[in-house]
Amino acid sequence: MVSDTTAAEIERRRAEEAEAESADIDRTPVRTYWQLVRQRFLQHRLAVIAVIVLVILASYAIIVPTVTGDAWRTTQLFRDDAPPEVFAEDGEFTFAILGYNEYGQNLFARLGKATQTSLTIGLAAVIIIVVIGVFVGSIAGYVGGWVDNVLMRFVDIMLSLPGLFIILMITAFFGQGNVWVVVFAIGLTGWTTAARLVRAEFLSLREVDYVQAARALGASPQRIMLRHMLPPAMAPIVVAATLGIADSVVVESALSFLGFGIGRDSASLGTMLQNARDYFFSGPLKVVYPGVILILIVLSASFLGDGLRDALDPRQRVEK
Amino acid sequence: MATYIIRRTLQSIPILFGVALVSFAIIQLAPGSPIDRFRTPNVRPETLENLIRLYGLDQPVHIQFVNWITAFVQFWNVEAWGYSLVDGRSVRDTLVDRMPATLLLGGTALLVTIIFAVPIGILAAVRQYSWADKAITTFATIGYAIPSFLLGLYIAYLGTVVFRGLFPGFGMVSLPGTEGRGTPLDVAWHMVLPVTSLAIQQIAGWSRYVRAKMLEVLNQDYVRTAKAKGLSAAKVTYKHALRNALIPVITLFGLTLPGLLSGAVITETIFSWPGLGLLGVTAVTQRDYPVVLAFVMVGGFGVVMGNLLADILYGVVDPRIKY
Amino acid sequence: MTARHVGPLLEIKGIKTHFFTQDGVVKAVDDVTFEIGHGQTLGVVGESGCGKSITSLSVMRLIERPGKIVAGEIRLNGENLLDKTDADMRDIRGDQVSMIFQEPMTSLNPVFTCGDQIAEAVQQHTAVSRREAMDRAVEMLRVVGIPDPKRRAAEHPHQLSGGMRQRVMIAMALSTDPDLLIADEPTTALDVTIQAQILEVMRDLREKNRMAIMLITHDLGVVAEMADEVVVMYAGKVVERADVRTVFGSPHHPYTQGLLLSIPRLDERRERLEVIKGTVPSPLNLPEGCLFKRRCPHRMRVCDTAPPYQEVGSGHFSRCWLTPAGEAPDVGADAEGEEAQHAAEQLTVGAR
Repeated sequence: MVSDTTAAEIERRRAEEAEAESADIDRTPVRTYWQLVRQRFLQHRLAVIAVIVLVILASYAIIVPTVTGDAWRTTQLFRDDAPPEVFAEDGEFTFAILGYNEYGQNLFARLGKATQTSLTIGLAAVIIIVVIGVFVGSIAGYVGGWVDNVLMRFVDIMLSLPGLFIILMITAFFGQGNVWVVVFAIGLTGWTTAARLVRAEFLSLREVDYVQAARALGASPQRIMLRHMLPPAMAPIVVAATLGIADSVVVESALSFLGFGIGRDSASLGTMLQNARDYFFSGPLKVVYPGVILILIVLSASFLGDGLRDALDPRQRVEK
Repeated sequence: MATYIIRRTLQSIPILFGVALVSFAIIQLAPGSPIDRFRTPNVRPETLENLIRLYGLDQPVHIQFVNWITAFVQFWNVEAWGYSLVDGRSVRDTLVDRMPATLLLGGTALLVTIIFAVPIGILAAVRQYSWADKAITTFATIGYAIPSFLLGLYIAYLGTVVFRGLFPGFGMVSLPGTEGRGTPLDVAWHMVLPVTSLAIQQIAGWSRYVRAKMLEVLNQDYVRTAKAKGLSAAKVTYKHALRNALIPVITLFGLTLPGLLSGAVITETIFSWPGLGLLGVTAVTQRDYPVVLAFVMVGGFGVVMGNLLADILYGVVDPRIKY
Repeated sequence: MTARHVGPLLEIKGIKTHFFTQDGVVKAVDDVTFEIGHGQTLGVVGESGCGKSITSLSVMRLIERPGKIVAGEIRLNGENLLDKTDADMRDIRGDQVSMIFQEPMTSLNPVFTCGDQIAEAVQQHTAVSRREAMDRAVEMLRVVGIPDPKRRAAEHPHQLSGGMRQRVMIAMALSTDPDLLIADEPTTALDVTIQAQILEVMRDLREKNRMAIMLITHDLGVVAEMADEVVVMYAGKVVERADVRTVFGSPHHPYTQGLLLSIPRLDERRERLEVIKGTVPSPLNLPEGCLFKRRCPHRMRVCDTAPPYQEVGSGHFSRCWLTPAGEAPDVGADAEGEEAQHAAEQLTVGAR
């Protein structure tokens, strides 16, 4: 057949076929992984709002303390519980948009400083949580056997301790008011969930073909863990870390509120709430401002976590 | 079943031993010594040495631990858990004294939680996407996001400031000399605010969970089978779906139980509720080590018991699980 | 009991079941018409996603949001099920029409015993005591060939194997002597030997009860063994319909031909198994005209216009432009637009 058709004829037919095919082929566009991630994330309206809120809060926490300097702790005479006063008598901008507290400290500036402290502690604690969690979880999941057994029993023990109370103990006994003690107390008690997650992920990855192949090729355990197993396990870690920020910020505020966190001479959302509690009757708004910021942080972090989970790891999607 | 319970109980012993080890280690590692509180300028060195010997602090650490743990397990002895460094009372007796207040508060909150959370979780799931579902989900999301101390603080604020002391935000009974002090009605009146703040948080979590489980179950094949049999919507939902949806809720029950035993630390502190949680916080502040250790042990015991009870209940309600 | 209706047991006329999703309307079932006579077995065949299961759930009126039956009639013994109240529909479900599903592992409620679940169906539709219903359940378990039925009735589903569970499902479905049994892929999830046993049970009971069966499957072997008539569905539409002999002997639609060629056979030597190239079109991105054209070896220009549903033989219908003899149509393979539209209308046969 082919022999008695000219090359031109074949060419023409091919072109025709190609045209016909392109005319009505299934035109669902092919997307890369990250395009899909972005698309899925943007579909999550609450997560997008959460990102915006977090960006605003972070800017507030960075900019206001920088611009207002010491205003957050400067006690101004005769300004105790003074109402908002945007411009001073000499016409200078005061940043006292929210008024003053019972010591005559600028509430807007103080709130900025507190947000900064709380977010910083939250982030620092999450870093510790992720580092310990990934370390313990990956070893348990990769090595398995008795190592896994011992590590998981240790996790069981950690989970049986009354968590918040242990943090109280550590902060109270190891240097009350010290920010680093607070960070470590939260980090050292909070890594169990992350460890379990990473372990589960590694356990299943251990059986995956490309990991088996890497092992067959003689790759070192470190290389297998870092190059082949950690990247695919990143999605749940990122989600857990995002949710961990909310938890850490809450624990820090609760500690400071109960008087075990950072000292009263610094400002965190918890200490502000503790102060405000003593002046319940005189200034109710002072209880509201730090509370609202705290709730915004928690809600945003959890929505962001949900959005990231849906975007990065759609398998884990849960009906809520 | 009996062998399973015995096996699980035996398995929990190493866990509790670990709890003891970790909490003991924290206290050992902490800077300062338990007898620092007695170190005043007028105290004689011999007195301090006597105290050190009395508390066994001259012994090596591992001996101290063994001595403490062997004494601790003999809970039937008054002196088993040691004596408070602050008031010299038997720690065991102090904890036992505080237990009823904690159980009362936590038990009531749990009861309120179940009464509200299960029906609203079901309602939200059955009427998914309705306004009722949206309202419940919004409440649950926000209620879950509000930190418990903040919720307690705001509820205390509402009760004492906004409603001008309609409900007391402090203590378990009225001040001495008040008429009707300590009557059940008085205690109930004092319970309103702390129970509300504990329950709101719990209801938020439980109703979310019940809703999620119910939705999961309503999508199961056997629910479709039940509909294909011609059963009414009510029978499908409340007989076929609900039975299955409530099985995992037992997990939440197991998680809530330790809180019942060791107390809600934050809520008890905010409302000055004289339970175990408040005792623990006070003990930490005063560095009353024997009380702190006993509190951690009771807390760990609560967690272990909660898990054990949840597992046993699973076996009772889920026919697929056989021990 | 209603007066005996003359005519087919089940008549489905032009039903359309659409799903209103966020991404657009999915026409899962689009203008489907067929009927099943008393005691007849109709095989509904097609690849997954062709709308066969949605058709069966439409008959049961078990379509859930965002799905909706937007047009058509479903007549059981002459009465339109789409006009029934929910309460009336419940009396029909599980009584006159019963259904068994693909997944025996998950189709039984794990917290109730097998006996309870069968007895529940009995009690729902007949005025009997609990004890009588239980006796009936045990009796039905015996009928479907479960050894030691009394003991099995007291067991929970997880204690039974997949094949046993499917027998329980059949026992449940048949416990009320339905006129019509809808079996949605009843053997797909089972081992081959168990498949044969289940089919035998169904065949047996069909004879005994003079019950009609709507057998939904993608397995042509099962159809050949069970069905009197066959409906082939593709992308929500019926593309071919005939008695079982015709479908296997002289299929008309290229899709049916493709399906038959893709069955491995022992009595023929073939270099390789023919497969239909391409995949089922996305329901949100259906082609213009013939839905099968992208995968069709006979594709012509006229296929850009929706093909007629023509009678290509006695009782043999096909939704294709090819002439009954399987050649390019008279209107000209290149006909387009109105000309083709007109031709299609001329050739299309209305629902009987």
